[in-house]
Formats: sequence, structure tokens, C-alpha cells
Amino acid sequence: MAKETITRQEYRVVGKAVTRIDAAGKVTGKTVYADDMHLPRLLHAKLVMAPYAHARIKSIDSAKARRLPGVEAVVTAADLPPHRKNPSNRREVLLAEDEVLFYGQPVAAVLASDPHVAEEARDLVRVEYEELPPVVDPVAAMAEDSPLARSPVSEVDRTEEKGHIATGVEQREEQGKPSNIASEMSFKRGDLEEGFAGADAVVEGTWWSGMVHQSYIEPHVTIADYDATGELSIWTSTQAPFYIRDEVSEILEIPETKVRVTATEVGGGFGGKIFLYETLVAALAMVVRRPVKLTMSRKEDILAATPAPQAVVELKTGMKADGTLTALQARLIYDSGAFPGAPMLPGCLIIGGYYKCANLGIQGYEVLTNKVSVGALRAPGAHNATFAIESAVDMMARKLGLDPLEVRLKNAVEKGDPLPSGQPYPAIGLKECLQAISETAVWNERRDSRKHPNRPDGHPPARGVGLAVGGWLGGLQPASATVGLNGDGTINVIVGAADITGTNTSFAQIAAEELNVPMSMVNVTTGDTKTAPYAGMSAGSKTTFTVGRAVKLAADEARRQILEIAGHRLETAPDDLEMKDGVVRIKGSTDKTLTFGRIGHMSTGFAARYAPVVGTGTITARRQAPGFTVQIAEVEVDPDTGEVTLLRYAIAQDAGFAINPLSVEGQMQGGASQGLGIALSEEMVYDDKGRLLNPNFLDYRLPTTRDLPPIEAIIVEVPSEDGPYGARIVGEPSIVAGAAVIANAVADAAGVRVYDAPITPERVLRAMGKIKE
Amino acid sequence: MSKQIITLNVNGERQEIAVEPRWTLLYTVREALRLTGSKEGCGTGDCGACSMIVDGRLVTSCLMLAAQADGTEVTTIEGLAPSPVAGADGRLHPVQQAFIDTGAVQCGFCIPGMIMAAKTLLDANPNPTLDDVRLGLAGNLCRCTGYTKIYEAVLSAADRMR
Repeated sequence: MAKETITRQEYRVVGKAVTRIDAAGKVTGKTVYADDMHLPRLLHAKLVMAPYAHARIKSIDSAKARRLPGVEAVVTAADLPPHRKNPSNRREVLLAEDEVLFYGQPVAAVLASDPHVAEEARDLVRVEYEELPPVVDPVAAMAEDSPLARSPVSEVDRTEEKGHIATGVEQREEQGKPSNIASEMSFKRGDLEEGFAGADAVVEGTWWSGMVHQSYIEPHVTIADYDATGELSIWTSTQAPFYIRDEVSEILEIPETKVRVTATEVGGGFGGKIFLYETLVAALAMVVRRPVKLTMSRKEDILAATPAPQAVVELKTGMKADGTLTALQARLIYDSGAFPGAPMLPGCLIIGGYYKCANLGIQGYEVLTNKVSVGALRAPGAHNATFAIESAVDMMARKLGLDPLEVRLKNAVEKGDPLPSGQPYPAIGLKECLQAISETAVWNERRDSRKHPNRPDGHPPARGVGLAVGGWLGGLQPASATVGLNGDGTINVIVGAADITGTNTSFAQIAAEELNVPMSMVNVTTGDTKTAPYAGMSAGSKTTFTVGRAVKLAADEARRQILEIAGHRLETAPDDLEMKDGVVRIKGSTDKTLTFGRIGHMSTGFAARYAPVVGTGTITARRQAPGFTVQIAEVEVDPDTGEVTLLRYAIAQDAGFAINPLSVEGQMQGGASQGLGIALSEEMVYDDKGRLLNPNFLDYRLPTTRDLPPIEAIIVEVPSEDGPYGARIVGEPSIVAGAAVIANAVADAAGVRVYDAPITPERVLRAMGKIKE
Repeated sequence: MSKQIITLNVNGERQEIAVEPRWTLLYTVREALRLTGSKEGCGTGDCGACSMIVDGRLVTSCLMLAAQADGTEVTTIEGLAPSPVAGADGRLHPVQQAFIDTGAVQCGFCIPGMIMAAKTLLDANPNPTLDDVRLGLAGNLCRCTGYTKIYEAVLSAADRMR
């Protein structure tokens, strides 16, 4: 197994489980999140949200709201400062101007110094609407005679998606006849007819996965201030400070040098905290010339942020009796909501990206409807596609009497195998993950699970075991970092990446490793966009993979500068020196030494002889380091209620090299739990008028401690070519497999196949034929 | 809106606060006392991020009006560590230290509420099983960890407190 290919002994700090450098602030309540911040003369904004999914705004009467004591302003689209407007780009539609496109779309903002007053005034704003026919079902919306959800889109801005995944593929925007199809794409390889003709088993089905919300526990919060010099400051809970700076600058036509974005501590993001109402809040601050804070309620956040899409996946696959996959034909329909931006492209790559298959035909559609437009959720689009392909592989194996794990091992992609786009995989560890799962207790005791004494008389609850593969390719973006030596010999690392997963802890490990010091000598700061070296968004699982390389280079450069000063001082060549624990010495000598503190002083003090030690590292990343996971569940299915109880769960994932195994395990377990939410309980339910029925945590059900047993995490390490110490992407793959794992386990336990996720008790009973309509 | 004066004993300090009838205990503690460790994740009592201990009972403070809390003793996350110099060795509550050591803290937003729930659980049951922990924390949502390391933290804290 690849696990043994790394010799950990050669490293001092990286590869060791360390606690997070920010944990003490978080367990004491001292960490400052955006909503904990106050500014002098701060105003609170509350949004007036549309009560229709599709309507024309006829008039807005804010007189009564304005008269409420304490109200500073009521702002509609007409009151906003001049800005770039592209109706195809949600980020440029700050407030609905004429047409409302989704239920909950902001129509006006009320500003008051007291949030309760702002809320009261919000309810006094009278908006008159003319209802328009809502387009809700994406499949029906594709029909030629469907009403249009909105005016056709053009000049679609896909920069955000590119932060999550680098594909080298462009999708086609639909031109010509107005339609709800925003874009489409296809991949082809080989000859499908021939592939199916050569198959001994063919499986065909339609898989549906519901719309889900990232459900970070901290709702979106943004504060903006526009000062007398024309400088805009934004404090916001975001994964993407530089991206927000660039977009706000372009939309509001303020130079990037005048926009300071500070990413505050992110209380969970998962792809949902890239960019939302930052431009709106900035524009409000420009209108009133006072700082403005927007704190969304949970309901508002579920209604009007950027959740993950529902998707319909039609899939037909063929397999030979020996388990060789011969053909894969898929049609993926992603519901984008009212603006383009659905992750159709990654879905199309993933569905044909797990297994070698000579004959492929994949078509993707991104369809506009009158729902809130979607964004990224941890490996966006991948779970929808995986639910289909990983269910189908199990079904084919069952038909042919083959072992589902062996079938996957036989077909699993390896280095050099092509993605559907033709791009070859770099080093990957899918087979190694499959092997790791084959060694788990859940897998090896699977036959005992089925024989569980609960069903000796043929009256279950029945137990069963299922597994599935998940994967993600990862994003690519340039990155930079600086590593400086302080006067007292401690080390400062400065980066521009928001720390959403413990990356700053890993950067401290990397700098400590390169400078051979204990981590306690290193401090890591995420700067704002005016002070920090550039980094891409903390999305696409790429932060350690890209920024980590920059930190390593910067630390190496700082090391070189330290050795140069020490060499000069000790009158020897830098090559003859070694450093440990903040002391530089001539190799083999005990008296010829110089401490980092001394060197720091000599390079920062008054009339100092040497220039300060500041190492800079800059990189551009051109090759991905895809991450694979294999997950396995033991479940119990109650035949009377349809309830699925999770008994045991294990996940194996290739991390390349786990710089901090403690946080890698945390990412694996956390992502797996989100996949299990998608699998078992999470679904945004819309009625036929496009109104969301469950915008709260009682009816939109996240997994609780009652639902989740401890998750066994097995780290697999197949080094990537480019990542620091061989590290590869970690954050996202873990969410991908859940729905397929559970569907396969339910099939094993109860003998029925569920094609819709979440796999609710009702859907299980339907599959069993116990609910009929 | 007219205000009324209430008295709270928060983390051992007596506080007289003028509150509006619509202010929740959470809003009052966060905005009037500027103790912002307790978080609002949902405002409807479903997520537990606002959990405080009021007269010995675990309360979702987003659902309790400040006026209802008049005269009570309130412990928030800020009142848990025995020393105000948090973070230095040995100065955290064992539950806090266990959360750090087991890697149970990720984004941290749920953590203040989670720790208050864990403390309440351990005060009532110093020797919990895994099932006890899963039941005791059922009112607190965490989106980052999948709970595994939180279970480890609470079981480890129980060990440390014995």
C-alpha cells in the first residue's frame, strides 16, 4: 500500500498531528466573527424579500417605513450608486429592479441603527407585484413550449466556478431561440453502440438528488464602510477576499487599490461563502456614508444565499461478465435557479471520471428556473453524478454476481487514464483507497451484518453494507506568501488565503519544518487584500496545495537569508552551517553559534548591519492533484417505517501526504457527514409556485449526533507530483460518496433500490412498494 | 421602545441592564454586555449555538426573552475557564482543553454552545457512554466535524474530570 511510501521520520513537524493554532480563541468564545464586530455609527440593514418566485415589481412604497423613528434610509434599486449591471450575473443584480426571479430575492434594504427597528420597518415597506408564471421543474423547463423563467442569459461570468475546479473545458452558452437552457456540453469517446453490444449486463436508471444548502452554522454577515477618501472597507465572512475585491472593484468602478476586503473568521463556508451581498452592502454604505452591517437570519440565508442544485441524472451503463465496464451513457440536468452558475461541467467530468471505459457519451444541461440561483457546495456537482454512477456499478455487479469492491478495483482509473475531457490523470490513489476499505471491519464483517439476529424469522429490521467511490479534481490558482524573521527571532508568516479548514496551522508546520524550529516560534496571519500577498479563493480544496507551496518557498528563501547573514558573521560559507531550534551553528561546532534572535536584531535594529530577513514565495499551479475517497456504511432498515439507521461508517481518502493528520481526519469526517445529510435528510422543498417550504433547521434537517455514529477515518497517502511534501487536495472529496453509499447499503439490507436522494423513510417505503399512489 | 431594568448575574458578575421587551437573552448578553462568545446560528432554538446555562439548566438563549431571565444566574462560554487569561496551560476548563486536544474544533461557530452542552451533560453524568454523549449533544448542530472528534472530546473531558 502507498501508505508506506512516505518515510515520516525525515520530517520534524509536517506529517505530525498538531492542534489548531486558533483553537484556544474558539473554545473560550474570544474569536471575533463578523457579527461580533461593531463600528462607530454602524447601521443595520434588513432586506425586503420577494414573496413570489416570478413577478414584476409594479411599485414600492416605503413612506411608512421611513417614518418609523430610528430608520435612516430605505434603499431600492433606483437609489443605488451607478454600477455595472449585467442581468445574467447575479452578482450585478444588487436589488431586483423590475422583474423578481426567485422567492426571497432582495427588493429593497432598510437601514436603521437598531436591528429590531430595521426589522420592524422592513415589514412596513409595501411592494406591489404582478405575478408571472413561475418555472419550477428543470426537466419541464427544457421543453420547447415551456414558459421562460427569465430573459435569456448572455455574457455569463464563470470566474467563480473556475476557483473551485480547473477543467480546461469551456461550456457553450445557448444562443439563438430563447430557452431555459443556459448552457450545455458533451463528451464523447469510442462507440457507445459497440460498447453496449459487448456488455453482458446493462443497467439503466434515472437518479434525482435534491437541492441542498451548505448550512454553515454562521449565517452570512458583511460589514462595509466607505470613507471620505473614497476608500471602501469590507469585513465579511468569506472564503474569497481577493475575488470579492476584484468583483466589487469592477462592479462599483472603484480601483482595486481602494478596496480593502478583510475575511473575518468564517463560521463554516463549504463553498457557500464565496461572494453574496458584499457589493450590495458596499453600495448601501456608499449611499448613507455610514458603516452598514448585514447579518442574515437563518431563514434569509436558506432562502437567498447560493445553495447546491438539484439534478436529474439519466444513466445507462454496460458491463461484461468479467466485470469490464464497456459503455457509459449519461445525461445530466442541473437546475441552476434564476441565474447561470450550476456545476454541470464538473458533474459531467466526474460521472465518467472514476472508471476506465472505452465508450462514453455524456451530455450536460444547465437549466434556468425561478429558484434561488445555486453556487458551490464542497465538490460542486460531484455528489449528484456520483449517486448515479456508483449506484449503477453496484447494480451491474449484483446482476453479474460479482463483488462490488472487486469490480471497482478492476475498472478504477489510475495515473495516465483520461478524464472524459481527454485530460490524463496525474498520480492518484483510487485503487489504494479501495484496498484500504477492503481491510475495514465493516467490509470484512459484511456477511455477518446480513445475518444479523434481528431477522431470523424473515421479519427485519434488516442490516446491510454498501460502499461507493467519490472523487474531486480540485481547483488551481496562483498563490504567494512571505516569511519574515522578527527582531526576537520568532517567525511571521503572512498569507492572503482565508483559513477555513486549519490551513494556517499547516502553514505554521511548513515554515517550522523548513526552518527547523518548533511550531511555537511561528505565527501565521491572514492579511487583508491591501496588505497580504495574493492568494486565490479558499475553495477547490487547493489552499494547502497551492499556498502551502508558496509558504514553503518563502521559508526556504528566509532560511537562505538567515544562513547568509550567519555565514558572514561567523566567517564561513552558508553551506557549512546548520540550523536547529532557532540557533545557527557551524556544522559540528558547539561554540560558533548565532541565535535567530541575534540575527533578527542585527537585521532590524537601529543602524543594523543587515537587511531584514523576508522570504517571498510565489507559485502558479498548472497541474491538479485529484483526491479520491471510498466510503462504506453498515445500515439497518426498518421495514415498517422505512427509517434507515446508520450503524457504522468508514472513509478512506487519499491525502497525498497528510501535513496535519488531525485536521485531515476532521475534513474527512466532516465532509462524509455532509454527504450523509445529502443521503438521508437534507432537501430544500419547493411548492409548485416556487416557494421554499422549509427555510429553517427544524424542517431542513441536518445530521445530528443522534444520526451519526463515530466515523472511522483512514488516511491513504499516494504523493502528488506538485503539492508540498506530496500533499494533495483534501477538503472536498469526502462529501461526494454519501448518497450512493447509503443507497447501496439499503439495497444490500432490504433488497430495494432507491433512486432519489435524500433517502427518506417515505422513499424507502415507496421502493418497497408499501406506499402506492 | 420603552425599556425595563433587569438584573442578571452573568459569569459571577451582577449586571443591571435596561432591556426592551423584545430583546432575547442572547441579544442582551451579546449587545448590551458585549459578551459575543455565544452565537446565533438559527434564532429558532434548533442549532444550539446560543446555549447558556441559566440557573443550572442548559438554555437556548435565542428563545428566552431577557425579561424572563430577570434575577437568574447565567453562565456563558466566557465564564467557563477558571482564569480570564484563557489559552495558557492549565487555565482552561477540562472540556475546553479536551476540545482543543482532540481536534474537535474546526470553524468554531458551534463550539461555545457545544461546550456548554457538554459541560451540562458531564455535570449531570460524570461517566457517560458514547450513547449518553450522542443523546446529550443532540440539540447542538455542528456542520464541520461530523461529531466524531466531539464525541472523543467529551469522553476525554470526562476522563480528565474524574
